[in-house]
Amino acid sequence: MLDLELLKNEALKAISEADSRTLEELRIEYLSKKGKIQGLMAQMRELSAEEKPKFGQMVNDLKNAVSAAIDEKKEKLDKELLNERLKAEKIDITLDGYVPKTGTMHPLTLVQKELEDVFIGMGYNVAEGPEVETDLYNFTRANTPEGHPARDMQDTFYVDPTHLLRSQTTAIQMRVLEKEAGNLPIKVICPGKVYRRDDDDATHSHQFMQCEGLVIGESITVADLKGTLELMIRELFSKEAHIRFRPSYFPFTEPSFEVDMTCHICGGKGCPTCKGTGWIEILGSGMVHPNVLEMAGIDSKKYTGFAFGAGIERIAMLKYGITDIRDLYTNDIRFLEGFKR
Amino acid sequence: MKLSLKWLSSFMDISDLSVEQIVDQMVKCGFEVEEIIRLSQGSDLIVGKVIECRNHPDSDHLHVTKVDIGSQVLDIVCGAPNCREGLKVIVAQVGAKLPGGEIKASTIRGQASNGMLCSLKELGVDENLLPEDSCSHNGIEELDDRFEIGDTDILNKLGYDDTILDVSVYANRPDCLSMFAMAKEMGAILDRKVTLPEYKGKANIGEKSSFKLTSESENCPHFLAKVVNHVEIKESPEWMKQHLRANGVKCINNLVDISNYVMLETGQPLHFYDLRSNPAMEITVRDDFDGTYTALDGVEYKIEKGDLMITSEGKPIGIAGIMGGDNTKILDDTSSLIIEAALFDHAQIRRTANRLGLQTEAAARFSKGLEPLSQNKAVDRAAQLLIELADARDFEETVEYGKPDYQPYQIRESLSHLNALIGKNYTMEEATDVLRRLDFTYTCDQNDFYVDIPSYRSVDLKIPEDIDEEIVRLTDFDDLESTLPLMPQTIGKLSRMQSMRRIIRDTLTNHGMYDTVNYTLVSDKYINDAVLPKGEAVELVSPLSDSRRYVRTSLMNSLLEALSYNLAHYNENVSLFEISKVYAKDIEEERLGIIMQGNLIENKVKHLTVTSDFYVMKGILMQILSMLGFEMGRITLKENDLDTVHFHPYQSAVLYLGNEVLCIFGKLHPNYTKTFKLDDVCYAEMMLSVLEEANPAKVKAPVLSRYPSVSRDISLLLNEDIKAGDILAEIRKAGGKLVKKAEVFDIYQGEHIDAGFKSVSLNIVYEDKDKTLKTEEVNEIHDRVLNQLLSHFKAIQR
Repeated sequence: MLDLELLKNEALKAISEADSRTLEELRIEYLSKKGKIQGLMAQMRELSAEEKPKFGQMVNDLKNAVSAAIDEKKEKLDKELLNERLKAEKIDITLDGYVPKTGTMHPLTLVQKELEDVFIGMGYNVAEGPEVETDLYNFTRANTPEGHPARDMQDTFYVDPTHLLRSQTTAIQMRVLEKEAGNLPIKVICPGKVYRRDDDDATHSHQFMQCEGLVIGESITVADLKGTLELMIRELFSKEAHIRFRPSYFPFTEPSFEVDMTCHICGGKGCPTCKGTGWIEILGSGMVHPNVLEMAGIDSKKYTGFAFGAGIERIAMLKYGITDIRDLYTNDIRFLEGFKR
Repeated sequence: MKLSLKWLSSFMDISDLSVEQIVDQMVKCGFEVEEIIRLSQGSDLIVGKVIECRNHPDSDHLHVTKVDIGSQVLDIVCGAPNCREGLKVIVAQVGAKLPGGEIKASTIRGQASNGMLCSLKELGVDENLLPEDSCSHNGIEELDDRFEIGDTDILNKLGYDDTILDVSVYANRPDCLSMFAMAKEMGAILDRKVTLPEYKGKANIGEKSSFKLTSESENCPHFLAKVVNHVEIKESPEWMKQHLRANGVKCINNLVDISNYVMLETGQPLHFYDLRSNPAMEITVRDDFDGTYTALDGVEYKIEKGDLMITSEGKPIGIAGIMGGDNTKILDDTSSLIIEAALFDHAQIRRTANRLGLQTEAAARFSKGLEPLSQNKAVDRAAQLLIELADARDFEETVEYGKPDYQPYQIRESLSHLNALIGKNYTMEEATDVLRRLDFTYTCDQNDFYVDIPSYRSVDLKIPEDIDEEIVRLTDFDDLESTLPLMPQTIGKLSRMQSMRRIIRDTLTNHGMYDTVNYTLVSDKYINDAVLPKGEAVELVSPLSDSRRYVRTSLMNSLLEALSYNLAHYNENVSLFEISKVYAKDIEEERLGIIMQGNLIENKVKHLTVTSDFYVMKGILMQILSMLGFEMGRITLKENDLDTVHFHPYQSAVLYLGNEVLCIFGKLHPNYTKTFKLDDVCYAEMMLSVLEEANPAKVKAPVLSRYPSVSRDISLLLNEDIKAGDILAEIRKAGGKLVKKAEVFDIYQGEHIDAGFKSVSLNIVYEDKDKTLKTEEVNEIHDRVLNQLLSHFKAIQR
């Protein structure tokens, strides 16, 4: 019996001191078929029938204890080994990460996209038209016949007596009106490039972009125009923005309004951006002039509609704080880099 | 339009309103005020008399004075050369606020100075508004007998207490260039009663006239002339001079001043001729003159056919509507004159004025359009003022050519139409109150109102909606509700091209490229160097400069310019693209341009470099095409035989969709890029319009094989001219549909390879969709492929 206790102590001591290599040797030494514990079974023969089961039980317990000790030790050693490996794999987390190279959308593209998305969400389509336009769609159909003083308002690039670089995206509206006259209602926005004989400086560009909108249907009102523009401004600038109408003049709308929005910088309190007024002029609008509808073949007694137009550069400049319009046309990637989102 | 508030207040009482209140109301009613100009400024001013004036002991130009201001005598040091004893002067007392700052008690070179003697310029008066003989040009203002010592009402008495509003007037309101009509408008805006001078019919006097008046141009449909046989030339009264000055008009004498004054009042440019200069008693308007003419300003102008000219005896005496002639003008001894008031076509006057660069007050008014009755109004008013201020008599009757094109008319509008258009509930009282303020004559019944339109508003008030605008404009509009159109639901979506643009932009920006927007207008150099132009470039009739003369026919040069700009500004590894329309005569096409320089990817952390070259460009193009639904099978790649001037002849290619050129791409020719100081640039220009017209493939779920695939490699030694694409095509031909994938993974030339040969390593993956391929089956098909390659390309297996 003493042998058993002796062997157990000897084994547990050896196991506790073992490393992962010697632990495997110990398992063989004690637990294999020819191992020390199995060897104890030889003593069985010398025991009485009564003692035999008891002894067998004791050997079994010893075997289990040693086996458990070995397993426990192995687990401990494995854990230590893994920890060492992980430790050896320690990295400097402050080194730069891998940043996939991405470019950016141009700010004008971003604003145009935002406008398109707002209005598509309201069921509008996006119409386009030629930049080399006819006098007819650019002016005449827009209630601005030859000799009309409003043609003075825009100095236009002509390419021949009847063709020009469109000076306003109103030209697209006039094409849509004509095309869809038999297919009302109309709900479109018309984004695009326009051209005027302006010398380029910080606030003028001979080329710029507009986005106009046009809705024609039965019983469309100025109040509808206001509601629509309010939604647009709130999507583009601030959920809290308000708009106000100031009387204005455009040949193709009657009545016509300049639209001001709550200054997005100061929220209407007054700041240098809004020159202390709390308001920022953002677009022009009005109810489509009956002459314009009639010229397109639409019954102005039955149908009314509104139109509005905003400068995409102006929105971009306000939204992103751009102070020189020419920055939008030099395409310096240091500038473009700012528009990652 | 310069609006003098002092002048305005002679027509209505605005004494209870501040300038800010007036401006605020105007803005609300659709008049933007660009600038508020105060003719003079200065507080604590008082009239003083210089009772002693001696030279400053320590200065060669300063005076030491004692000035009596009634309540006390002040010591003031003054530097003005005209300062002397006995003068009545404007004294700015200590504490006075002048445009230049506040006056403080001080000591100037040892002499006490408690105030300042002022020039009008120091009180903010614009030099141009000073009378020519004013002392204020070079010294202090010398006051006349109207002023008493201690008087503080100085600026008012001098006529410089005015505030001028620079009002921008919309093109539909040319009437607002007339003071009378503007007064009516201001009466409506401020809700004030307006009293204008009574002058109607004042010219209906005079003996029978022998004066002959004709127009040989349809652009002068109406012309009035009136001979006045006696006038006395003298100085204009102070009130008139003040109003003229406030409008920036120089005062000359009563005759010239009256003609200018009536123009400001009525909007009708008038011209007075010295009667002596027209012995023939005849004026003819012509538009067939061709030659040079020296106008009133002494400048010789080149007149062309079409320009309207005033002539007498066949000789020009003035450029109609723009400027009179030197030989017929009012002189210092004029004693009789001809009044001219005519209507000239606004578009013609604008053309002539623009061409001659002569933007006179008269031209501006004619260009914007006159009210139809203004010729008669102006002659009436001129006759009245000539009688009052120039002792005019011996009038002849007014001679008239043509008739004013005007019939009184009415506009009918209904309350229900008004409210349906605006989306508001105006009452009849609210609507007609606006008409009352406008001083329009109107009648109304239950729902309709009938408005008589005065002649001066006939330019802009034509249809019921115009009346609606008046009502909206002149009532509070901030309470308008916000609603949305009540109409059938519509589906909004992007067109095919619009979606394509978005996909391309997303793809390219995700590959590290920048979306750009460039100018459409380019120089002729770029037109001659376009990539695959579709025709002759569109040219502007009058460009701003030669560098912006043509509409571009391709995008390449714009992108080269943008790239060059970036490199010049120390940016490296620049890849840009642009999506834009290009034009040629009668042709519009949408294109995509991509330019790459340096490395598309350069990542130091991962030691990763992808240098932009032909293959990078090709891969990116293929990816765009596949994302747009155009798989490789539909695209044909060919050698570039379209443009080897701009492209590297051996590193460029053309993609075709069917028979149409879809894209040209590759490295640009170093000979061409060197003009932009660039080298090693890759470029692609893709015709998006071609894609727009073709149908993209439908999206179909891939069928996955349940059976394993087998991969085999081959290395071949073959002639260096054999193209990879041909080898791969041959593999597919020999292997049939069991070839799932075939690609080149290595090409080697150099050591151990004979000159003229190359080693090509290929990987082929075999797969059968219906069963597991047995080794023997793979061996058999692979041998077939290999043998085919060996025999077809005379290759050797390595």
